[in-house]
This record gives sequence, structure tokens and C-alpha cells, in this order.
Amino acid sequence: MNGFALLSLYRSLTRHRVYAALNVGGLAIGIATIIVLGLYVRFETGFERWLPGHDKVYLVQTNVRAPDQPFSGRHHWTMGGLLEQLREDFPGIVGTRIEPVSASVMENGVAASEKLKRVDPSFFDIFALPMVAGTGRGALADPANLLVSRSIAERYFGTAEAVGQSMTVSIEGETRLLRIAGVFEDLPPSSELDFTMLSRLPDDVDSPWWRNWGSTSVQTFLRFAGPEDAARFESGTDAFVDKRALSAYGEQASKQIGINLLPIADMHLTPQGREPDSRRQTVTTLGIVGALTLLIAIVNYVNLATARAALRAREVAMRKVMGADRGALIRQFLGEAIGTAALAGLVGLALVELALPFVNAAGGLTLTLTYFGAQGVILPLALLALVIGVVAGAYPAFMLSRFPAASVLASAKAPGGGQAGTRLRQALVAAQFALAIAFMIGTGVLFAQVQHLRSADIGFDREGLLLIRSMSWAEDEAQRRAIVARMAAIPSVRSVALSDSVPGGSGTNNVDTFKKDGSPPLSMRRVAIGPEFFETYGARLLAGRFLGDEFASDDVTDREFEEPRNVVINTLLLRALGYKDPAEAIGQQVGRGAPPRTIVGVVNDMRFLSPREPIDPTYYTYYRDPRYGPLTLRFTGDPKATTDAAREAWISVAGELPFEAQTGVESLREQYAEDERAARLFAIGAGLAVLIGMVGLWGLASFNTARRVREIGIRKALGATRGDIVRLLVRQFLQPVVLANLIAWPLAWAAMRRWLAGFDDPIALSPLYFLGAGLLAALIAGLTVLGQSLRAARATPAWALRHD
Amino acid sequence: MIELQAIERRYRSDEVETTALAGIDLAIAEGEFVAIMGPSGCGKSTLLNTLGTIDRPTSGQYLFGGRDLAQLPESDLAQFRAASLGFVFQSFNLIDELTIEENVALGLAYRKDVSDRKARVAAAMDRIGIAHRARHFPHQLSGGQQQRAAIARAIVGDPKLILADEPTGNLDTANGEQVMNILTTLNDSGSTIVMVTHSPSHADMAKRRIDMLDGRIVASAMRAL
Repeated sequence: MNGFALLSLYRSLTRHRVYAALNVGGLAIGIATIIVLGLYVRFETGFERWLPGHDKVYLVQTNVRAPDQPFSGRHHWTMGGLLEQLREDFPGIVGTRIEPVSASVMENGVAASEKLKRVDPSFFDIFALPMVAGTGRGALADPANLLVSRSIAERYFGTAEAVGQSMTVSIEGETRLLRIAGVFEDLPPSSELDFTMLSRLPDDVDSPWWRNWGSTSVQTFLRFAGPEDAARFESGTDAFVDKRALSAYGEQASKQIGINLLPIADMHLTPQGREPDSRRQTVTTLGIVGALTLLIAIVNYVNLATARAALRAREVAMRKVMGADRGALIRQFLGEAIGTAALAGLVGLALVELALPFVNAAGGLTLTLTYFGAQGVILPLALLALVIGVVAGAYPAFMLSRFPAASVLASAKAPGGGQAGTRLRQALVAAQFALAIAFMIGTGVLFAQVQHLRSADIGFDREGLLLIRSMSWAEDEAQRRAIVARMAAIPSVRSVALSDSVPGGSGTNNVDTFKKDGSPPLSMRRVAIGPEFFETYGARLLAGRFLGDEFASDDVTDREFEEPRNVVINTLLLRALGYKDPAEAIGQQVGRGAPPRTIVGVVNDMRFLSPREPIDPTYYTYYRDPRYGPLTLRFTGDPKATTDAAREAWISVAGELPFEAQTGVESLREQYAEDERAARLFAIGAGLAVLIGMVGLWGLASFNTARRVREIGIRKALGATRGDIVRLLVRQFLQPVVLANLIAWPLAWAAMRRWLAGFDDPIALSPLYFLGAGLLAALIAGLTVLGQSLRAARATPAWALRHD
Repeated sequence: MIELQAIERRYRSDEVETTALAGIDLAIAEGEFVAIMGPSGCGKSTLLNTLGTIDRPTSGQYLFGGRDLAQLPESDLAQFRAASLGFVFQSFNLIDELTIEENVALGLAYRKDVSDRKARVAAAMDRIGIAHRARHFPHQLSGGQQQRAAIARAIVGDPKLILADEPTGNLDTANGEQVMNILTTLNDSGSTIVMVTHSPSHADMAKRRIDMLDGRIVASAMRAL
């Protein structure tokens, strides 16, 4: 591009300032959207890729192959002793376990809970964490050693050079003095590993659960030289399971349970068990939203650029007359278009920098923009500007430069693409409005569903509950009783209850499978509860009675699993057992034969787990004094006041244990936080897509109106009123919007039906979302073109007729 | 039928004020065929546009059939144009996206009191001899044919007044003659016509000739019959 061409670019931008601002701005917003959503997609798909040699590391999944059970499917956890058995049967295998444990650091007599995980000494053969100080490999051979993250070292010792320092750490209730052997770099946000301290996993775990097939207490990771080795290993696992799980599952155990490998980089997005594949869907959806928003922006840009270029036919002809050859003209138009696209790219980058803090806040993310290097945005952006520029500049460059100059100059009118061009532009407007409408429908449904999750009837009153999860760490019965007594004495507390299951999950999941004569075995959750559990949660009794101390036979504290018990069931189990009326079930058995479970009460279904998972058929058994599980308080008034009072009570009885509590609302919110985040990001993308659509429509309307000035003059000379003209122009732009609705509705319907299918309790896909989005789009389109139509309609026809 | 009294039209741009009409007094009777002549920029077209109410005078009175049009709101003027006027332009001003038939029908599009539109459109095209081109688009026609279509559009609504702005300006001699013959025939059958032209011979075909200079009427003469 020579100096004169640069001047021409500058002129074309400054002479039509509004047009240039809209055109460059629209493209810039599209570029900003794809960058932000691209950063998000890269973040979500980049988990564990920071780990050196991550492509050789695999997670061992436990695969519960029996269908339709609460635990069916592949899980990221294995039984504790799996690695030892693998080592015996597959000599030379390299692996480590990671066991999450409750741990707290004692400092000046106060406990602070920390994310400590116990691992095998071979951990560093698989996870080569970058070290800040000391060594990682080999350090964990000594059980008295401890590895901490940089931020832990800095927090407790004021420096990362903390090697040799000691810490008093309580792990699973056992307090020990450990020596820091090394400091590792903080894990990046794109990691599921989630620990700040590492200590040695004991060799001799003395628990029957540790070698119980089907239990899930640790994560087991293996390292293979390549995918072929991993595949070879995986093909031998069924034989391994048949042999090792024989006692637990009988012959052909691998028909019921198996182990599989998952590349560690896939761990983050892979659902567990019966979880729907929602995380990957969200990432894919937002990626598509970003790409489509950019596509809309590019279409608009090209549309407007070519439309305007047609108006420059006369300029091209004059340049030819002055001696420009085709090559020079092509270079000029392509140069202008690429220059403008590059400008839009720069503005887009600026927008990203401005928007990222807000997007991070809205999405709970930590996205950052890198400019240069392999992850840098500059190179792809430059390529993008080049492509957009070439596409946008090709029409004027190659078409306009071919028009014979003389006929263009002699003709009274500009060659403007004619009817075919108009049709194409209308179709493009319809296409982009279709996307915008589909996005609007999606946003509406997403928000309505998330709102529904927040307020839907989940079978108990979610307000006024405080869940004290640290209760699980209480050391003995005496301490537990003292804590319960203190909590019950808080004035705002109405009742307290212990249970091994609470809203948001507690880590404890028990499933029993009973056989009924002549029908397939029935699996159900078993929830252990203490006194006042149903009263605390406000469960609704549908028949029979609750469990309690007043009925001596309710308490199962001193009973073996096989002994008779009284139980309360939920309505899902009631129905699974084939009863219609709750009263029918009272006095009946859950299953036939041993172990006997007599139904004494029926309660409504309570949703403690994710709204994406079905509620399971459940039965409740009663302990007068449960030995584990969180404590639930039912309180009135301000949650913070009760939380503070509970903390004070806790410290007075169990100061050596960290206090961890959250309200029921907070705990439940974690379950749909991801959906909320997706809804917000989707809304941002959708809003920008609509905005760009408006910009494009405005530009196109102004171009079209300008082109039709003469026609408007003729019509006015023939007696058309302003109203006639405005109606004419607005109708012209409402037609594509109507068409857009016809395209958007089925698309949005199919997509949203699929998304809602991921919820156990979905909202109905009401036609109101569709009509609402359609009307909104029509309103936006109408208002966008109305201003220009009014102006065009107001011009005096004599002026309009001279205008050519 | 028409009476202009002290009509002035001034254009104001940022710094310059141009006077296009500087006090025009003019009366036109029903059935007249008036040709307006004069050099470029003398105000011919402005006068014609003022008569056509597509340009508003800065001051003065415009009486049409006794009604003062200068005071009417825009919407009433639009109705007036639809019902009473027909325009013929130098550059035809047909709408490219519409067929000839549709262009002619446009002359009735803004009339609410008209029935039998199809028949009237067909009749107007027949009368001007353009019916065989009804389904064509403007760019498929010669200049003379386009101008005949434009005249058909002008007369389809039976206007009281036909305004023609250099109707032969873009045509060759033969086509120009043909258009002039149509206009004369229309005038003979009762239409009132005001035409701006540069061609003295075409001006001679009108019944009355007005010469303009610098926004004023400098001569007005009836054709000797």
C-alpha cells in the first residue's frame, strides 16, 4: 500500500465516521468475544497439560458395569489397595495413589484446615512437580517428611525457603510433627489435583474398606511409555478383576465391575458415574457461541464493506481513467480491507483487556491474555485479520476493478449488485438474526432453569440450615456429644441432627441392593440418621411415623447389618416397591427375606445431591447416637449470627479441630454454580451477538436507505406520505427477522430440549421463550431501522430526486 | 386553476444563500400546455418542483383550485400529489426493482379512492403504447420506452396537472418527437401540462412559452395559432 492508498483508507474511515465506527466496532466486538470465549475454552480443555509428561499419565477409573444403580458408570476413584494388587499382577508398573484426608495445621493452639493429600513415595515418578526448594523425588520415602506448596511456605514461614522447618499437622485426627523436605510451585488453576501439602501414604492401612472392591477412597494414577502400552494394560484388566474381585463379586466379576484408563488431561471434562456430560457440553456450547458470534461479525463486516464498495464504482472508474491498472486497484482495495480488519483486531484486543476482569468475576474464572509466544494471541489474530480482510476486500478488488470505466462514468446510477446482491444481503441478515434469536431463547431458558434450581421444591426447607461438616472429624463420642449439646444451646437454633448425608453431599454414599422374588434386584441409598433428623429438615410424613428413641426397636446402633430394622422410606422407593398409596407400605418389608427391613414410615423425596442427578430410592435407618457424619442446625434469623455463635461454641469444645460450616443454601449453590456460570457466559456471548446483529442491521439499513433515496423521492412525488415510506422501509427489514424466527425456533428448541434433559427436574420449554425472543428481535430490528426510515421519509422529494 | 403569487425560494447552505426563485407571479388556466425555458440555474426546475409541491417556497402563495397549498401540512400535500398531479422526469425515475406494469401501478399506489386499478393501469399503458412491455424491467427498455412508461405512470391517476421536467432531455430526436406527440395528444384531450425544456422546437409545440432568467419570469408568450 503506498502513501496515497493509506490516505484513501484514512479518508474512507474518517469521512463516514459513524459507518466506520460501526463496522470496525462490530468486528472488534466479534473478535473480542471469540478471544474471551476462546480463552475460556482453552482453560477448560487445558487441565493438567502443564504437567511435564502429562500425555503418559492415566487415571484409573472404577467402572460399575451394573446398569441403573446409583453408582453405575465410571468413577475417578478406586479402592485404596488397588495399586498394590496391580503391582503384584503387572510387575514393573509405575503408579501412585492420591488420598484426600482431613488435615489441619496447628499454630498457637488453633487448627487451620489445609488441603493435604497422602501419596505414595513413587508420586514424583508420575507427577514431576516443579520444585521451588528442596527435592520432591525420594523425599516421601520418609514418613516424617512433608512437602508444601510455595504459598503454604510463604504463609507459615514468610518465605519459600522453608526446607528444614517443622509443622505440627493433624491428619485424620492424629497429630504429628513433620519436617518440610521440599517446597513445590503452587498448582495452576487449570488443575484438578487440588492440594497444597503432600505426605506419605502409610504402607499398612488396616481397614477392610481399603481392599473392598467397589469402594472408592483414593485416586490411582499410572504411567505408561505410550498409548500402546496403556491399551495393552487395559486389555488385561478384566482378567485381573475376575481374579481379584472373585470373593466380592463371584465368578466373572468383570461383568459387574471393571477398571479403565483415562488420560489425565481428559479428567477435568469427563463426567463420573451417572453425571451428565454437562461440563464438556458447556465448553463446546460456549466455543460454538464464540465462533458464531465472530461469524456474524465477519458476515456483517463483509456485507457492509462490499455494499459500500459498490458505491465506489465511480471512484474506481475515475482511478482507471487516471491510469491505475487492475493490479494497483486490487492492491488498494485488499490493503484497505486488511488494514481495517487489523484495526478492528486491535480494538478487539483492547476490549478483551477491558472486559476480562468482568468476565472473570461473572464466571468465577482466572483468564489472562497472553500476547506473544506459543499461547500468544497476536499471531492467530493477525491471520484472522488477513483472512477477513481478503474476504471483505475480494469483491471490490476483483469485481469493481473489472467494470469498464466508460460505461460506469456514463451511467446515471451506480452498479450496486442489483437484485441478487439485495437478496444475498437479506439472507445474511436473516441468518444472523436467526442466530441472535436462538441465542436469546437459549439465554432465557438457561436463566429460567437456573432460577428454577434455586427456588424449586427440593423436599425440604433450604433456608435456615447450617451444615457443620467438620463434625466428621470429632475425636470421640464425648466430644461429639459436647458439640451437639453446645450447638443445641445456641438461642437461634431450633433443632440439631446428625446424619451421614446432607445437602450438597457428605462424602458418604451407601447403597444396598435387595433382591425381590421374581423381579430384578433393587438398589437404593441407605442414609443413617440421628434424632430429630426429619424434624430438622422439615420432611413431610406421608404415612406411618418418623424414627425415634421412643420406639426402642428403631435404634440400630448395636445391631448387625443382617439383623431386622425399622426403616423410613421415600416415595421413590415406595413406588419402586410397587405401592401406590403410602399407607399400604406401612408394616411391609423392603425386599423379601434377609435382611429384614420393616417400613414404619414414608416421607417425601428430598434432593440432597445435584439437580442433574436423579433422586435415588432411599431408606433411612436410625442411630440414637451416630458416630460420623456432619451436623445440621435448623436456625431462625441471620445466618451469619448463627454461624458465628456455632464457631464460638465449636472452639470452646473442639478448638484443636478446624471449624467448617456452610449454610444449606451455600452448599446447594455449589451444585449449580457451574450451570449459573455457563448461563452468565452464554448471556454475555448472546448479548454481544445481538449487539453485533444490531450494528450490522443498522449499517445495512442505512446503506439500503441511502440507495433507495431516489425511489423514496419518486414515491413521495407520487403522493406517498411519511408513514407510507417508514412502513415500506421497516417492513423490508422485518421480513428477514420473521424468516429468522422460523429458522431459529426449531434450532433453539432442539438444543434447549437436549440441555434440559441433563436435569432431573427440568422446566417446561414454554412457547413464551420463543415468542418473547422473536418479538424482542423484531422490536430491536424495528427500532434499529426506524430512525433512518424516519429521516429518509422526512427529506423533501425534490432533494431526493436530485440525489443520485 | 393555478395561481402563484410572489413565490420566493432561497437555499441556504453553510455560508451561501442562493435565490432560486425571486418573486414569481404566474397563473395557469385549465387545459393549458406551458413550456418553461431558460438557461441552466435560472430556476426552471425549482419552479416546476414548487408547482409539484415536492419543494416548498420560502414565501409567497400557491393557490391550486382556490386552495392555498403553501400552508398545507406535508401529509395533505402527499394526498394532493397522489390525487391531482402526474410527474415526468428527464431521467425517467422508474424504480429498477419493479416491472413496467408495477411502476405504472405505483401512480395509483397512494390513492385510496381508486377502484379497478388493474384496468386503469392497462388502459394507461395502452394509451401510451407500452403495454407490450408490461412484464419487462426498466433496464430492458430503451430510453424512449422508459420515458413512455414514466408518462403512463403520470397519467394513470387522471391528474389535473402533468409536470414534465425536460422529458426529452435524455432522448434522441426520434424518441423525443414521439414523447412530445404523446404530450400534445394528452393536452388535446384536456390535460393541463407544465413542461421544462431546453429545446426551442419542443417549446414551440406548447400553447404558451415562459422564459426565465435568474429566478424571474422575463417573458411569457402565447403560441400563435
